[in-house]
Order: sequence, then structure tokens, then C-alpha cells
Amino acid sequence: MNELSTLTSYLSFKLGDETFAANVSKVLNILEMTKITKVPKAPEYMKGVINLRGTVLPLVDTRIKFGLTATEFTVNTCILVLDIKIGDDSLQVGGLVDAVQEVLEIEPNQILPPPNIGSKYHSEFISGMYKASEEQFIMILDMDKVFSADELIEVHESSQSVH
Amino acid sequence: MDQFKQKAIEEAYELIADLEASLLVLEDNSDDKNHISKVFRIMHTLKGNSAMFGFDYIAEYTHHIESIYDLVRNDKLKLNKDIFDLTLNSVDHLNLLLEDVNLAEEANKTRHTAKLNELIDFVKKINALIESGISFIDLDAAKTPKEQAPIENVVEPVKPVEAEIIIQSKVEEKTENIVVEETKEQIISYLITIIAHKEMLQLGTNPIFLFDDLAQLGKTEVYVGIEKDSVDFIALNPIQCHLTWNVILATSQGEDAIKDVFIFVESDCDLEIKKIADDNVFDKSDAQTFIYQILETTSSKSLLEFNHSFEIITTPVVKEEKKKAAIPTVKATVTEEIAAPVEIKKVEKTSTAAKDAAATSIRVPSERLDTLMNLVSELVTTQARLSMFAETSDNTEVTAIAENVQKLTRQLRDIAFNICLVPIQNLLTRFQRLVRDLSAELKKDVELYIEGSETELDKSMIESLSDPIMHILRNSLDHGIEMPDVREKLGKPRMAAIHIRAFYSGANVILQITDDGAGIDLEKVRSKAISKGLVSADVNLTKKDIIELLFLPGFSTAEKITGVSGRGVGMDVVRRKIMDIRGEVDVDTKPGAGTSISIRLPLTLSIIDGLLVEIDTVSYIIPLSVVDKCYAVEHSRIVSAYNNIIVLDGEQIPFYYMREEFNCSTPPPVLAQIIVVRYEEHRIGIVIDTIIGEYQAVLKPLGKMYKKQDMISGASILGDGTIALVLDSNKIIKRFGHQELV
Repeated sequence: MNELSTLTSYLSFKLGDETFAANVSKVLNILEMTKITKVPKAPEYMKGVINLRGTVLPLVDTRIKFGLTATEFTVNTCILVLDIKIGDDSLQVGGLVDAVQEVLEIEPNQILPPPNIGSKYHSEFISGMYKASEEQFIMILDMDKVFSADELIEVHESSQSVH
Repeated sequence: MDQFKQKAIEEAYELIADLEASLLVLEDNSDDKNHISKVFRIMHTLKGNSAMFGFDYIAEYTHHIESIYDLVRNDKLKLNKDIFDLTLNSVDHLNLLLEDVNLAEEANKTRHTAKLNELIDFVKKINALIESGISFIDLDAAKTPKEQAPIENVVEPVKPVEAEIIIQSKVEEKTENIVVEETKEQIISYLITIIAHKEMLQLGTNPIFLFDDLAQLGKTEVYVGIEKDSVDFIALNPIQCHLTWNVILATSQGEDAIKDVFIFVESDCDLEIKKIADDNVFDKSDAQTFIYQILETTSSKSLLEFNHSFEIITTPVVKEEKKKAAIPTVKATVTEEIAAPVEIKKVEKTSTAAKDAAATSIRVPSERLDTLMNLVSELVTTQARLSMFAETSDNTEVTAIAENVQKLTRQLRDIAFNICLVPIQNLLTRFQRLVRDLSAELKKDVELYIEGSETELDKSMIESLSDPIMHILRNSLDHGIEMPDVREKLGKPRMAAIHIRAFYSGANVILQITDDGAGIDLEKVRSKAISKGLVSADVNLTKKDIIELLFLPGFSTAEKITGVSGRGVGMDVVRRKIMDIRGEVDVDTKPGAGTSISIRLPLTLSIIDGLLVEIDTVSYIIPLSVVDKCYAVEHSRIVSAYNNIIVLDGEQIPFYYMREEFNCSTPPPVLAQIIVVRYEEHRIGIVIDTIIGEYQAVLKPLGKMYKKQDMISGASILGDGTIALVLDSNKIIKRFGHQELV
């Protein structure tokens, strides 16, 4: 387990024009688009559920989570099956991304601190920046935070919604 | 070896649970022979098992308790509160010992030593009394010896033995030389009575070998008898065994060695081993007379009569006129012990009954059951695919096979479910103890009544029910039930009652916990909620709304935190735990009259029979168990219906329009379907687009991300790989009912 969390391999993917990366230890699977069953009355970013080899996997529209417009499905649209830790629990979630790119080797010393201001994305999700070339920065995401932040909001909401 | 040890420990836990149950019965009725015997037997089994697996501490500890109960069941000691509490305490200690069988922790070791010494002191005290010649000890009644004892009450006619033929066992001569050599050691004579069960010979037991084995121990003499009720030779079933043997054995080996001989036939016969003399009876000059007398006293009178009548023909050995004065002391002991055989027989009988029951059931590790259930679930899903394929295929043979597979799968599924069901009893007996201890601690008089403990539930549910029920009981004891004095003033009986009822209701099991305490003070709950800022003061709350407040996290009406309840775990946790197993919690309360908490649980967790329907191209499953009737209705009637009420079969039925609820935008079909579902006393229609058919749905959780989706209780994967969502009709109706009120 420790071995996994110290992996220096990152999977890069695109959301809109920007490139992001997630540690490969978080990504269990990359799936092509499949039939989504919409769950009624769910928040907008919850796209529905899919059948992942016999288990029911909730699917999150990562773009909406990041404040972008909803994903438009193209041939490149992929589902990342992610292993998310919330507290002591781990949970599998599918995340929709516009395109999956490549696996990068990034040493810890190559990771720059995240920008504090001026980011149009929720900056608390970004654990660091990687300079891939002169013009291109890749944002390294903290997947646990991306998916668990809203879980907290939900718990909070449900406790208030009683009255 | 480890797995055997694990099994032994599991079994020990079960034995202890039984023990606890028996003790609680004994608390009310300390003369209950059956349960005294049961306690003894459990201790005995625990001792045996523990010794076998090297749990020496347990073996030693149980040994002492066993000896106490041995006296009790033989009417030499009266079960009083001291003994009772001692045993009940030992239950806790045994649990501790099972957790730490080798007493690895120092604290446990000290505790064990203390407990053991306490026990040994007690046993010593009793032994001292016995040695002082008291035959019946009543520790409460100023230690007055009671010669007459309650023997009269317990003596039952011993199974009469019709005829007796004395056989000079041929093995006897064979071993005589050895016996002679052994005479220098302390030889004790025993009388062993073996009453064969009818099926003994069918089970492959050959009694001759037993006598051979006994003869190895010392000098034996075997006397054979026949049961009285089988004397009708016409009705006699020759393949059954009707024999009874009395064996006189003089041995230096001790009682345990004798028991070992019978270790494999224990369940085939009733066995009784009794010491008749402290020396070798065969050495006595009047050996035969003495033996004869022993036999007379031990067995019933009828045996004696028949002995005499058959004597001349069959027993040339016993001829000379008896000097009837055998050794008086020995005779006295024998008469005193006359009650014992009857008791032993009872024990023997119950134990065989238990063994019969055990023979028809087997132990299976629960993981294996889980695997079985998973496989059945997979099979059901695969079968759905097969059925779907068969439908589209032109091959009629495939269709026939698919139908057959469907039938078999359904049966297999039902059986697999039944395997996983366990009676709720195991869970509930635990609470007897909890209530007993807590009420003592709180100085309240409370009696717990349990009804319907035979109701069966999925075993995984039973595990998750323990904490919530414990919490509810604690709440009830701590907050609900008043002090005895207060109760008296209110005109209630001093003794409060908590009822736990378990019963089936449709496809649900309902667990109802009712107390006759003070009830919930709704006004107090309301003001508390206002002071905590959970509701605003100007909101008008119904009783239902106020009760709902109890389930808010962090809500507790207890003025101060007591040791019993109020550890920060509230009803919200209870509800969450119950909801995790797809259950619901309802509270009803009447100020001054008590509170009733109902837990409604589904019968099974993983697979349901459902009705597959479609709403706006998405498939949904409605549990078939709640479906009452289906109607086809023109869509226009639904849209134009006033106040969502439609008349079907002359009955007004409120309905719930799912399209509207789910914000579906596609054009609706001309003909909509109304599924009328039942929930408690309500009938409510759910409007959907089309009915696809019946479907066995393997339930899969939607996961944490969809926790808010209370109308959907899960999902199921259809034959073609798409996902259908399972509608929770109960939740829909509840919501519907709520909207109506507002």
C-alpha cells in the first residue's frame, strides 16, 4: 500500500483545454463511454450509474465539479474508475473526463506549489503544478479531495434538510 | 488445529449463551430441574471441550462450577441467590477467558486468580458441610439438614425391567488373573447400568465389545434385563434393542476410565455409573447376596419381582438363603442416592434429544454462506441474461432450457435465503441480561418480555441490529421508565415492563420495543430543539415532526449524561444503522403511558422479486411484495386528475406521478400504468409508463454518493447489462403522506 502511494507515475487527462494529472495509484481503470443510467433527483454533477462488471458504479461529471459546463460526449470521452478515500472508507467512483492522455513520471521535486489566486478551478483540489513544457502546466489533482469535498456537503445538507 | 480451536471457541460462546438463558429461567424458578441439569451439562461440556483443546484455565474454572451444580441437581444443595450470582458472574468471566484463553494479559490473570479462589472457597465451604454429614444443604435455611429431601417429588418410576438373566460373562475368566494381581491396589466396585436405546444395534454398536472393554478394567459380572414394555413378543420388533445391562465392575481404574469405554456410545444408550462399595465386592464371602441387593435397590421393584420368578430357572448361582444383612452403611448410601438415577436419566434424555437435533444440522462458517449468497446472486444475474437471449432466439430448445434454468435458480435462491435466516432469539436473550443488570444499577424494577423470538431474519441483519436495540433499551430504561416510587404514585405497577415483539408483516419483519414508562415529553423535545437552534420558535410542529427531531444528530433530552445512556450516540445513529440494512424506525409515544419504537426490516437483503417497469426509458424495479394491483389508465386522466386522486374500481386512490417527480421531459405514452402499492393501511398508486414484467432483482447498493436518493433504495443489473433502479415504495408513500399534511 505504501508502495502505491509513493508512486511517481501520474495519468494525465484533459478537461476542456486544460490538462490535469492524477496519481496512478488512484486510478483503477479507464473505461470507454458506456450506457449511463440516470438517477432521478440527484445533483447535477452526479451523471448516474454504470455497470462495471456487475457492480454499480456512481458516475461523476468531473467538469461540473470543476465549475465547467457539462461534459459533451465525444469519441474521446472516458471514464476513470477512481479509488477514493473518505476518512477510513474507500469508495469507487467513476469520473468523466474529456480525454485521457498519457502516463508521466514526475519526481516530487518537479512538483511546484499550487497557485493561490487567479485560478478558475477550485484550487483546494490542486495539490501541485508540473511544468510539462515552456507553455504548458499540468495541474496535479488530489483526487480524494475532489470527490470527498462534496460528500461532506451532502452529509451537511441532509442533516439540515429534515425540517 | 487452530481451526478446531476456533470452532471450539465458537461453540463455547454458544454454550455460554444457552447457559445465560437457563440461568435467567432459574432466577425466577430456582427449582427448575431441567435447567439445573442444563447448567450442569453446559459446564460439563465446556470443561470437556476446553480440556481437549488445552484451555486449561477454562477447564479448571468450569470444573468447580460443575461440581456445585452436580450437588444441586442431585438435591444435595439448594440453589440460592449466592450460587446463582456466582454462576452469573462466571458467565462474564468465561467470556473473558474465551477472549484470552491463555491469560496472556496480566490484568486478566489476576482477575482469573481472584475469581477462581472465590469459587474454590465456596466449593470448600460446601464440601465441608457435606463432610459433616449433611445430606441436603440449604444455605439460606440456617444449614438445617433435611433428611427427607424433596426426593418424593422427583422420583419417577424407573423404566421397569422385566426379566433378568444372569450371565457369567465369559470374558470374566479371561481377565481374572489380572484382577488378582491388581487386588493390592485400591479397588472400588461400581454398578454400571446401561439402558440401550431401541436403535442401538442399528447404529452399529456391538455391546459385547463394551463388556470386553469393561473386563479389561477389572472383574466384571453382567446381568441382562429386558424392558417391561417390550414383553409383548408378538409386537416385538426384532431389529430393535430392548435390553438393559447391569454390570458389576471391580476396578482400580476409577470412574473416568469407565466413562471412556462408553465414549462412542453415549448417544445410543442411557448410562449410569454408580459406586457401590469401596472395595472389591467379589472378594466378599456373600458377594452374590450383596450384588443381588444392590441390584434390588438400584432398579425398581418390578425388577425385583421378576428376578425372583426367573431366579430358579436362570440363576443357579444365587441359591443359598441370603443373610439379608449386607453391609448396612453401604446400603444406606445407596438408598440415599436413589433419587440420583432418576435425575441422571432425565439429563441423559434431554441430552440425547439435543444430540438428535444436532445430528440433523451442521455447522457452516458464515463466510461460506456469504460466498454461497454471492454466487446465487451472480447466477440470478446470469440467468436473466440467458432468459433475455432465449427470448430473442428462434431456437425453441434454448427457450425451454432457459425456462428450466429460471425455475431452478428461483428455487435455489429461496433455499439459499432460508439457510441464511436465523431466529432472532439469539439476539434477544442477550438483552434479558442487559435489562436485568441495568435495572439493578438504576434501582428500577423492570421486566423484559420477549415475544416472537422464533421469528427469523437474515443473519447479517441480526448482527447489525444488536447495537440499535441495545441503545433503544438503554434509553427506555434510563429516560422512559420511572422510579418504582414514582410509578406507584401514578397508579402504575412498581414493576415496569418492556416488551420486545418480533413478527412478520408482509415482506417485512417488525421488531417492536414498547415500554410502559413516562413517554417522551414532546414539549421538552421542542424547546430543546429550539434552544439548540435546530428549529425556529415560531414554527408549528406536529407530533410527528417533533418525534422526527429526536433523530437529529446530537440531539439528546437527557438533562445530564449518565453512565447508561447519553454517551453522545443518539437516535440518529440508531436510525442510520437501521437504514443501512434497509430498515425503518418509527417512534410512537403517549405521555404518561409509554413509548413504542418499531423497527421495520426487509426479510432479505440481497435479492427481491420485483416488477420491472419503465419511466422515460429508464428501468425501475418495484418490489413485488408491495404491489397490490396494476391498472392501465389514459394519460390524460392522470394529468387532469384533481388533487392527484383517481377512482379505480370504485375506490379513491391517491397517486404519485413519477414523470413529474423525476422531471421527465420526453412525451408521455398515451396509456399510462398505475401500480397500486400497499404500505401499512394505505394504498397508493404509482404512475409509470410501461410494465415490462416480473424480475428477480439482485440488489446492489447505489453507494454513498447517492445517499440522498431516498426514493431509490438500490440498483440491479439487468440481463443486457443495463442498470435498473429499485424504487423504494415505502419512502415514496411516506413522502406522499407528508406532502398531504403540509
